[in-house]
Amino acid sequence: MRLADNIEESIRKLRYKTDAETHKKVLGNVLQRLDKREEQKSGVIKPDIWRTIMNTRTRKFATAAVILIAATITLYIIAGPFGATTSVYAEVAERLQKALTMTYKITTTTPVEWMPDMEIEVAFKEPGLMRMTAPGGYVSVMDALQGKGLSIIPATSQFIEIDLTNLPAGQEQGPLNAIQRFKSLPETADEELGEREIDGRTVQGFRVTEEGMILSVWIDPKTRELVEMEMEFVNAPGMSSKMTDIRFNVELPDDLFSITPPAGYTRHEVQFDASELSEDDLIEFLRLWSSMTIDKTFLPTLNPAELPNVVMAMVKAGKFGPDRETTEKDQPLINNITMTTTRAVMFIMKLPSESKWNYAGENVKYGDAETAIFWYKPAGSQTYRVIYGDLSVTDVAEQELPE
Amino acid sequence: MFEDRLLVWRFKAASRDALRAIYEKYADDLLTLAANLLDDKIGAEDVVQDVFITFAESADKFRLTGSLKGFLAKCVANRSRDYNRRIRRRQTAAVNSTERRTHEVTNPVQLVISSEELTKLRHAMTELPYEQREAVVLHLHGEMRFRQIAKSQKVSTKTVQSRYRYGLDKLRSGMNGEVRR
Repeated sequence: MRLADNIEESIRKLRYKTDAETHKKVLGNVLQRLDKREEQKSGVIKPDIWRTIMNTRTRKFATAAVILIAATITLYIIAGPFGATTSVYAEVAERLQKALTMTYKITTTTPVEWMPDMEIEVAFKEPGLMRMTAPGGYVSVMDALQGKGLSIIPATSQFIEIDLTNLPAGQEQGPLNAIQRFKSLPETADEELGEREIDGRTVQGFRVTEEGMILSVWIDPKTRELVEMEMEFVNAPGMSSKMTDIRFNVELPDDLFSITPPAGYTRHEVQFDASELSEDDLIEFLRLWSSMTIDKTFLPTLNPAELPNVVMAMVKAGKFGPDRETTEKDQPLINNITMTTTRAVMFIMKLPSESKWNYAGENVKYGDAETAIFWYKPAGSQTYRVIYGDLSVTDVAEQELPE
Repeated sequence: MFEDRLLVWRFKAASRDALRAIYEKYADDLLTLAANLLDDKIGAEDVVQDVFITFAESADKFRLTGSLKGFLAKCVANRSRDYNRRIRRRQTAAVNSTERRTHEVTNPVQLVISSEELTKLRHAMTELPYEQREAVVLHLHGEMRFRQIAKSQKVSTKTVQSRYRYGLDKLRSGMNGEVRR
């Protein structure tokens, strides 16, 4: 067969190689640049303002003058009165990135009065091991290297195996994404928050705005330690999570992250519906959970990061009625809850920030046809989809959305 | 995919080993991509080096949102386009071809399979208009979808599909002509 007969296959055969010496030279240059970058970072971070100005090819005096003024202001802000504290922040951000292990406690507070604060202890170890311990002995372990996870439910002596490789593209690491996000704080903060006292220590605060999240980072300038980090969520007003007891590079044995179920535990089977996600999944989720609360109200939050903790606290507070032992008969319902929740959460997580989704279901009862509980703008749409308390849906112009 | 995510994690923590592993894993694929996009093999080597150097410098800011190979391939495509534009602007065709001939002799970048027909195909590729060549190479070697190429070339998906089809037709007829002759 001539090459022209299967031209695409022939083009694929046009592969190139180079000799080992060239590879060695190029790789050497690349690694040298990484080393240089690390050396530069260990010094004081200064903007290369003058190079910017010198490289500006404008010949217009007014434009050049504006650039010069902007550059001078930038130089003043970064290297001026706040210079020293900014380098404190940069140092901590760098230590976070390089940490090989990390432990912390995360406490979540919601605007719901009756709901107690929720605490979870987290341990993380590179590359990609994570363990979360919640009150009641609920433990979840994720192992990104093996692409597997394990959750244990002490109340029923059951375990759930999690296959991380089956998650949708971009979410393969599941909860580990949150750690990676936390570890890759930008090297400069947006704003300085001044000083305050935490447990007798004077700490300095910095504000960082990340996608959908506002972080307040509190650092002890004497010891250069990250003392506290508070997170507020754009899509969950009034809810915040606080990270404390943060420790880097503590020794964490590998068996802490074992994904072997404890002896005597039985498998909790979860079937997964992999069909296309849609708005209907969210509606089904809202219907299901509101049918389970005693007062038929919707859940107080839809923030995927906080949902498990919120539900756990609601169980404790008796919002779903008195707690009882589960039996074999409960299995289909448990499977349905797991499936419906997973799909709704995935639907929400897939909504881009341009969708401007908003949830306002807290304290709203199922059947309330007047109150909008969720709205979002589908991709390419001029109007919003609004879901009401009776789970009816209408298309609404932006100016007619609830405030 | 998982392996790449772990490599990126370690790379972001300034791991030289992780950067070396990423280079060793993808350097040849990226070199193939660049060498097929450019007429000049020295240029291909430079483009790959530049892409990895910029990647090394961006360790702190880099966030993997898709595939690592896809990201690096897109960087090679952008740099190759710039390189090609710069070369065309700077040099006359005569000087260019002289330089090219010199490079072919001295450059260690060579075809893995060297046959008369593949060499002809290689020359036929260099005769394609750049946009057509880019559509063909990014789709077949960069494993990019037409939609992704369209975004990169800032044109519609239909335009990229046409460029790809015209490109293949020209290569096919060019090869047939050569064989007949």
